[in-house]
Amino acid sequence: MEGAHLILFWLALAAYGAEAGFRLVGVAPASAWRSPLFAGVLLHAAFLGMRWGLSGHAPMAGLFESLTVFSFSCAVAGLILCRSEETAAAWKPISVLVLLPQAGAALIDKRMTPLYPALDTPWFASHVGLSFLGYGFFAAGLALGIVYLRDGGDVVYRAAGRSALYGFSAFSAGMVCGGIWAYYAWGSYWIWTPKEIWSVIVWIYFATLTHLKFIPSQEGWPGWTKRLEMGATAAGYGVVLLTFLGVSLLLRSSHSF
Amino acid sequence: MIGWGIKGKSVLRQLWRFLTSLKTSAWAGLFFCVAGAVGSVVMGRYPELFADMDAQVFAGWFARKGFADPAPTLWLYGLLLATALFAVNAACCTFERLAQIFRGTATMRRLLPHVMHLAFLGVVLSHLVSAVYGDRIPGVAVPQGGFAPVGGTGWVLRLDRFDAVMAPEGYPIDFSATVTLFRDTTPVARGVVRTNEPLFHEGYGIYIKNFGTTPWGAPYAVFDANRDPGATAILAASLLFTAANLLYLFPSRRADA
Repeated sequence: MEGAHLILFWLALAAYGAEAGFRLVGVAPASAWRSPLFAGVLLHAAFLGMRWGLSGHAPMAGLFESLTVFSFSCAVAGLILCRSEETAAAWKPISVLVLLPQAGAALIDKRMTPLYPALDTPWFASHVGLSFLGYGFFAAGLALGIVYLRDGGDVVYRAAGRSALYGFSAFSAGMVCGGIWAYYAWGSYWIWTPKEIWSVIVWIYFATLTHLKFIPSQEGWPGWTKRLEMGATAAGYGVVLLTFLGVSLLLRSSHSF
Repeated sequence: MIGWGIKGKSVLRQLWRFLTSLKTSAWAGLFFCVAGAVGSVVMGRYPELFADMDAQVFAGWFARKGFADPAPTLWLYGLLLATALFAVNAACCTFERLAQIFRGTATMRRLLPHVMHLAFLGVVLSHLVSAVYGDRIPGVAVPQGGFAPVGGTGWVLRLDRFDAVMAPEGYPIDFSATVTLFRDTTPVARGVVRTNEPLFHEGYGIYIKNFGTTPWGAPYAVFDANRDPGATAILAASLLFTAANLLYLFPSRRADA
């Protein structure tokens, strides 16, 4: 059973690979719901559900589980935000953003490890799950931002705006859950580690970003604020990557996998 | 004199415009992100300076190290400045909007972002209270059956019993400590402390941090005692923020925000 659930992981990876391959050569499915990516999401959900049942905890501990949940979140966020014909162009970058973390996870030790006692709480799943959901929306924001900067379009602009807003909302709720958890587990809702600092950077970055659209356009540069906002939406993914992977791999932090 | 009066009013108007401006919040956000990013790297470069940052409340630590060694802590000045500017900006923006609602020139529907502003201010101010009036008593080590004073609280902690469930591989699955808190010789609190389940008494939380065996074979446990007077207010403000944020996701409430 333990090995069997990994078949679902590989099948999801194959589906994401097929989606990215088709998109990169210019073949688009009739709709997002009839795409290899949607099939991949279903397989991926089954894999995560099985792993949760087998390990007895939310599959979000360690680098392998973090990467595969990140991939799943990107796919779900894409399906939520890019359902219209006008946003279809975003599927090419999204399919790559879904594939890369899943492919990265494929290279890592997949054995199930027992949960450290401090992680054995519902706050763990809610904090990490909501944070990754936010990351997924921010990844979709990168794809939509790129499409807007290249082709423009009001529908894409609005979808990209929603990516920042939804991502910010999920990430904020994740931070609240993390603060409550930390207060009960470590005696303080805040500790000074690079991971915590970068989490607040992500929060401040997207809080600022959601305000940018309300800055009136400059005379003579009528489209400048929208392009700035979309550029910042796309760049936000870099901030997220630094927080998720950069801090864990490059900086010393107790709050890492 | 009249000229100075007009000039003074004009300066005040400019100051108000600066404090309520979205551009100010955008610059404060950018400044915060840069200062935080620098800090996350500097913390790793000066571990001897930042290692004990969580072992005491922030105000005490900053008074001792921030002023004595300003160069490596410059980023913290930046973070504090950006946070203060953010908070003042949010307060002024909300005050202006509340005045508009009071005058009848804006609708209540526009209020949700300002509920989020107020909740954010609540978090910042409550954290300030914790950072100044909180307390950190790390490393209270007690052998089973023994006693240890809890910092300057006047309490003595007795470890009545320690239990650990170990996996065959040698790592802890669960550990708990039954403790009694005394003032003089009178027991004032008793309970079981385990990971994610501290014992609370008079604003302090008693957290189990570590355990082991003494050279004479008795088990011992190490506790932290922390007090965060702003924690409840932070929780309330965070939940208010989340509730307003979720309501804001409904498009009908977002219009004209």
